[in-house]
Amino acid sequence: MRQLFIVLGLIASILALVMAVTPLSQFAYLPALSALIFGFAAFYISKRKQMPKKTVQLIFLLTIISLVLTTYKSIFNTAEVGNLEELELKEEASIEDSKEILEQLDIDNVDIDNGTTELETEDFQDIQDLEDQ
Amino acid sequence: MKQLLFIIVLNFSPVLFAQNNTIAVGEKLSFTASYNMSGLMTEIAQVNMETGQVKTSNATLLHLKCTAATYSKWDGFFKIRDLYESYVSPTSLTPYLYKRDINEGSYYKFMQYTFSHKTNSVKSLMRKKNGKGEIFDKTATLKINSGTKDIVSTIYHIRNLDIHKAKIGDVKSFKVIFDNEEMVINVKYISKETIATAIGKKECYKLALSLNNKDILKGGSNDNLLYLTADANKVPVYAKFKIPVGNGELKIKSATGLKN
Repeated sequence: MRQLFIVLGLIASILALVMAVTPLSQFAYLPALSALIFGFAAFYISKRKQMPKKTVQLIFLLTIISLVLTTYKSIFNTAEVGNLEELELKEEASIEDSKEILEQLDIDNVDIDNGTTELETEDFQDIQDLEDQ
Repeated sequence: MKQLLFIIVLNFSPVLFAQNNTIAVGEKLSFTASYNMSGLMTEIAQVNMETGQVKTSNATLLHLKCTAATYSKWDGFFKIRDLYESYVSPTSLTPYLYKRDINEGSYYKFMQYTFSHKTNSVKSLMRKKNGKGEIFDKTATLKINSGTKDIVSTIYHIRNLDIHKAKIGDVKSFKVIFDNEEMVINVKYISKETIATAIGKKECYKLALSLNNKDILKGGSNDNLLYLTADANKVPVYAKFKIPVGNGELKIKSATGLKN
C-alpha cells in the first residue's frame, strides 16, 4: 500500500511539475493536490511502520516546486500576443488589393439598403424549440 | 412636382434606408477570447475589432476589420492568425467586399466575396491548401437573397439595431453568407442586465443568438449570448458561445474611438 501511494505520488508530482512549466500551468493544481494527498498517505504509513521517508520527501519537494511555479505564473505572467508582423503585413497587402477590387465594383448606390434596424415581434419556431430543450 | 417628391423621399428616408448611428471610423475594440479546457476558462487569444476608411475613385467605404491572434504562450501549440474584413457603406453598412484569411495551426483558408446587390449575387473566391500543401483557387458565383450580408458586417448590423425601441422577446433575423452557404441568424432580445466589465459596470442588452437549421451554434437560448451596452454605442462587452468542439467566451479589454 505504501509503495502504491509512493508511485502514485511520484507520478502526480512529476506531472504537476511538467504542467507547471508549460502554458497549461493553471491545470497543475489538480495533479499537485493529488500528489500531496498520496504523499501524506505514504508519509503516514511510513511513520507508522518505521520505514524510510526519503521518497515521500521527494514527492513533497516536487509538488512544492510545481505549486510555487504555478502560483508565480498565475500572479505575474500577463497574457501577451505573439509576433503580429506577418498579420500586419497581410492586412496592409489586403487593403491595397481590396482597393483595386473595389475600383472595379459598381458602388454608385452605396447607401441603398433594404434592411430595417428595428427588431420585430415574431415567433420563431427554432428559438421556441431551443427554449423548450 | 419634383420638389414634392424630394420632400417625400427626404421625410421617409430614415424608414427606407437603415442609418448607421453607432459605428464610427477609427473605433477599436479589444477582447480576450477564452476557451473552456477541462472546466477551466483559459485565455487563449486576443480579438480586435477595428474600423477604418477606404477611399476609391467613386466612393468612400467603411473598412471593418476583425483579427484574432493567440497569446504567445499558445503559439507553440496552436498558432492562430485570423483576419476578417468587410468593406461596407458607411451609412447603411451594406457590404461590398468581404475577405476572410485564416491561419490556424497548419490550416489555411482564404475566402473572398464580392457582392453585387443589383443582381443579388456574390462572386466567391476560395483559396485553400490541398493534401500536398499546394494552394489552389476555386471560384463560384452564388445567388443570394436580398439583404444577405457577410458575418463581419452582420455583427456591426446587430450593433446598429434600434434595440431601445424593441420589446423583450423581439427577434430580428439576418441572412448571412458563410463558407458559400446562406444561413439565417436570429437575434432575440432577452433582457437588460448590468454586468461588470473591464471598461466599467455597464447596463447591457442581453441578446440570444441562434442559427436556423445549422449545428454550428449548440445548446439552448442561454448558451449563445451577446451583451451590448445599453447606450448609443452598443459596444459588445461580453459574448459566450457553445460550438460542437466546446464552449468559450469573449470579454472586452478596451474600447476606444467610440462614436457617441
